[in-house]
Amino acid sequence: MASRSSVIVRTVLAHLAAALPSARFGLASAPVRRAAWARGLRRAFERLGPAFIKLGQLISVRPDEFSDELVAEMRSMQDAVPPLPAEAIRSVIEAEFGAGPDELWATFDDEPLASASIAQVHRATLASAYRPVWGETLPAGADVVVKVVRPGAAASIRADIAGARRLAGLIARTRLARRFDPVALLDEFATTLERELDLRVEGRFSDRFLFDFRDDPKVVAPRVVWPRSTARVLTMEFMRGWRLTEIEAAKAAGVDCFGLAVHGATAFMRQVFVYGRYHADLHPANLFVTPENTIAYLDFGIVGYLTPEERMNITQVMAALVYRDADRAMRYSERLGVHVPPDRIEAVRAGLGTLLDGTTRPDGTRDFAHFGLGFLSLLGEHGVRIPSGYGLLIKSLATVEGVARALYPEIDIVATAQPFTTRILGAAMGDPARLRERMPEAVRAALRVLLA
Amino acid sequence: MTDDVMRFFAAWMLTHEVADEGLKAAVLRGDEGGTEGMSGGADAFVDGLAAMVAEEKEKLKRDLEARARGEEVAIEQPRDPALEEVRFEVAELRGRLDNIESLLETLLRKLDR
Repeated sequence: MASRSSVIVRTVLAHLAAALPSARFGLASAPVRRAAWARGLRRAFERLGPAFIKLGQLISVRPDEFSDELVAEMRSMQDAVPPLPAEAIRSVIEAEFGAGPDELWATFDDEPLASASIAQVHRATLASAYRPVWGETLPAGADVVVKVVRPGAAASIRADIAGARRLAGLIARTRLARRFDPVALLDEFATTLERELDLRVEGRFSDRFLFDFRDDPKVVAPRVVWPRSTARVLTMEFMRGWRLTEIEAAKAAGVDCFGLAVHGATAFMRQVFVYGRYHADLHPANLFVTPENTIAYLDFGIVGYLTPEERMNITQVMAALVYRDADRAMRYSERLGVHVPPDRIEAVRAGLGTLLDGTTRPDGTRDFAHFGLGFLSLLGEHGVRIPSGYGLLIKSLATVEGVARALYPEIDIVATAQPFTTRILGAAMGDPARLRERMPEAVRAALRVLLA
Repeated sequence: MTDDVMRFFAAWMLTHEVADEGLKAAVLRGDEGGTEGMSGGADAFVDGLAAMVAEEKEKLKRDLEARARGEEVAIEQPRDPALEEVRFEVAELRGRLDNIESLLETLLRKLDR
């Protein structure tokens, strides 16, 4: 453990030292210095392996806790590592099933489709038909992908997290902890990674997603083959199509990109505002458009969950953006755990009002990222701690907007949210319990108007 | 007495007329405003909601007129959500059992060696 700790420290220091010339040995302007350190840190993380690559990915979705430069740099983190030889992957499958790939699938391709820090993905075909939890039966011979956790990945991640706990304890005692709570961040990180290491969690989310969108033929996700899945091996339907990074090819094939941009954004709103569970790691590589004009959500490794109360409060905050209502945004953010000190409330409200008024782009569409990320920065400037789920959700919505705009630049994600938020809040208004609670007050208000 | 009743109905009609005018104005503001026109506050939400309700009302009106003409109107009959949820739970349980069966087969394979 001690040797691993010294490797970590040496690697980080070496990469920060290598960044010194770019930072002009500390004499460059603050943003240039921060960008140089961030680049050095990103390179060190890539070198240090799975736990650090995942930590970088977590930092990239937390603009509320880290500098813009670090978030931007970590966003470019490459989670692609050299593939393991087929024998290593075959031995994991053998250990999980007591049988080799050739006995479990009709065909198994030793050449990997993708190789990331935690898992490697191979193509295969089903030996027999399987009726999945939701959706049509997958016939014998159907193309599937087999995701296999890399041997040693879990042990190395857990060891690094154990080491990081001591470091987090030390950081918690420094002034760095004013901006973020390192122990809470590490706990969140450890929970996310444990979920990612058990591939069945991802498979179950995919099943649930298919069920949630059962009435929407334009939104799909891979069906899971449970008899060929374990904690370390996940067999899923192979999705054909184009990643959003290959959008030109999709357009050339006649895919309706505008329709899918609107639909994909709507599907995300539905995940957040209606179901309270959402894909929290959306990026262009995790979304496919298919030749059948559907949008496929892939890789449910990082997901977000909201309680019904959180969901309602978040709907209120979104409605505040739709209807430019700073008071509503303040009131419901408070209920989500954003506690603004009393002496800062007026300043934050004023800043929020400016943000709400400044979200319109020259083409007349609204810019959610400008509002969401601006709000997080505003809270940061006033020393307000942001609950982790809140930051993750805002980042996810900003990403969805970016992804949708890659498909169709004129899309207005705030307009997409309007029917959802209005309908949900309208339905909440008709709730009998709420009516009973509010009716006497409403009658008194009506009488006051009549008698005035 | 007759005068009182007339007065009562007149008041009722007036209240209804004022409320109707207010609602129409809200629908108009909600319709015309779009998102960029919403100048803010709780009133903007009410306008937006009124516009959506008015849209639903128009749809209902069209359906009723079509039915009066003897045309068949497809009415969405959402399935019982609770029953749907049970269907999913059962299907998910089946998935878990498939998974457990596969694990048991693995165990047997390993014991046979």
